[in-house]
Amino acid sequence: MNTQPVYQARGITKKYGNVVALDNVDFQVSAGEVVGLVGDNGAGKSTLVKVLSGAHKPDAGELLLDGERVEWDSPHDALEGGIETLYQDSSLAPDLTVSANLYLGRELLAPGFWGKLGFLANKRMDEAARLELEKVGIAVPSSSRSVAKLSGGQRQAVGIGRAVAWANKVIILDEPTNHLGARQSAEVLEVIKQAREKGLAVIFISHTLPHVLEVTDRIVVMRLGRIAADAPTSTFTPDSLVKSITGLDQLAG
Amino acid sequence: MTDLKESRMPLQTSPIQTSRGERWKEIATRQETLLLAVFAVMVLIFSLINPRYFSTAAFGNILQDFGPVMLMAIGQTFVIITGGIDLSVGAVLGLSGVSAALAIRATTESGMDPMLSITVGVATALAVGVLVGIINGLLITRVKLAPFIATLATMGACMGTTLVVTGGVQIAGAPREVVLIGNTRFFDIITIPLIVVFVALIIAWLALSRTRFGRWTYAIGSNGFAARVAGINVNKHLMKVYALTGLLAAIAGLFVYFRLGSGSPASGRGGELQSIAAAVIGGISLMGGVGRVTGVMLGALITASVLSGLILIGVEPNAQQIVVGALIAFAVAVQSIGRNRN
Repeated sequence: MNTQPVYQARGITKKYGNVVALDNVDFQVSAGEVVGLVGDNGAGKSTLVKVLSGAHKPDAGELLLDGERVEWDSPHDALEGGIETLYQDSSLAPDLTVSANLYLGRELLAPGFWGKLGFLANKRMDEAARLELEKVGIAVPSSSRSVAKLSGGQRQAVGIGRAVAWANKVIILDEPTNHLGARQSAEVLEVIKQAREKGLAVIFISHTLPHVLEVTDRIVVMRLGRIAADAPTSTFTPDSLVKSITGLDQLAG
Repeated sequence: MTDLKESRMPLQTSPIQTSRGERWKEIATRQETLLLAVFAVMVLIFSLINPRYFSTAAFGNILQDFGPVMLMAIGQTFVIITGGIDLSVGAVLGLSGVSAALAIRATTESGMDPMLSITVGVATALAVGVLVGIINGLLITRVKLAPFIATLATMGACMGTTLVVTGGVQIAGAPREVVLIGNTRFFDIITIPLIVVFVALIIAWLALSRTRFGRWTYAIGSNGFAARVAGINVNKHLMKVYALTGLLAAIAGLFVYFRLGSGSPASGRGGELQSIAAAVIGGISLMGGVGRVTGVMLGALITASVLSGLILIGVEPNAQQIVVGALIAFAVAVQSIGRNRN
């Protein structure tokens, strides 16, 4: 990659008591690049995601956004910095409609007097939400339907749609194809490609290695809190990726 | 782009076609319609047992019971939708009522103009309600107590304070204007306090269904994590919701005070039970995130009708709580059966 990374983590260390979850980790992602983050359970993926998304503060190391040092006090800080995260356990409020979820925390208010009283511009949000989701290739039955009434795949698509719609720099997708069928996963992967075309930096965390191999440009493998491998996707085969994740490559070498 | 459209298909289900029949079916199975039916059946049963139940005067009495229950239930609605609960509303009703009575008695005895004295009394009661609400909010958001425990504690504290400041006796000595404001009836049934209740009802309905305040209330109860991550200041919002509930309970206290013309330390007893009953009968889910003010209005009407009806058919007042308790259990059971079926 000859471009300057949009988002960079340098020398990140994070300990929970005596357990070193992250040990001097370097990680970076560039605009228009999809990076796969893989590793076994407990390898440190989740912790790294929490640090990158602003949920946890690292004990050591620094984060750089567009080359400038940043510190996040909360996930919302990171959000305002242009980093959108789709959490594994869905960041949607199931009882709210699709458009209410898309605009959660960023609601549009009615013009004039009523807006000052806090009245919402629901029609405008419904319409804009529909267009925004269509733009990234997601069609939901109705943006005024509650999320609880959507299928698992549709919910995930709405979550990703929201991230893509609002992010202006980075989106972090934690296991977005979990629990999805083949066709729905294909749909989600398509949205990820759209996000790349939009010039976003995408961090894609997944256990489903075929998805990682299909959609990413580069793969970062974590093992025991460290980076075990960081190379273009084309250099991996399914077999070598598994070996890298499990550490068998080192035994063999 | 065409192949993209292809892959988009699985997410695209055809919009639901609503024929006229389905539309009627939708209306018929709506919570509000069912509640109206329950209400009608109840009125019928009570009227059959005691024909006097079906009269303007009796309906006026129902509305007098309805007022305070409705006010407390509005607050309860907001709180429960955020996923919390407020057990202190009845005790706040009692404390704010006697606070108003004490303030008004003290100021009129010192020769203050009655209307000015009443204003001082109203302000005192509202301040007491908001204060308790803020304490509830602080206990929940800062001390991180479960809403159930926090409001149980303030409920006890408020009941105790009420007994201490009154010495356990009724506070009389209100100027004539108090009773006039509380009991002047228009069209035989509407009083000024009832008009206040309906204004509060309309504001609450608009706030919950049309404003950002309402949207955030639902969001917090539906998925607090998502709300927080989306940048909603959840603690600040909860503070507002509990303060609002305290304020509404204080208005309920004034409602009772103006009707009786005196402050009774016994007022508001069972208010938490009644307001929770109204809310859950009206379809507010105790899990949070779900419910409408229109449903709660009918829930409060049903609760109030049961209270009045039981007296008219000769059930002793102390047995009312048994019935209200049973109503809550029944309403929540119906809700969870409905949820499991889905």
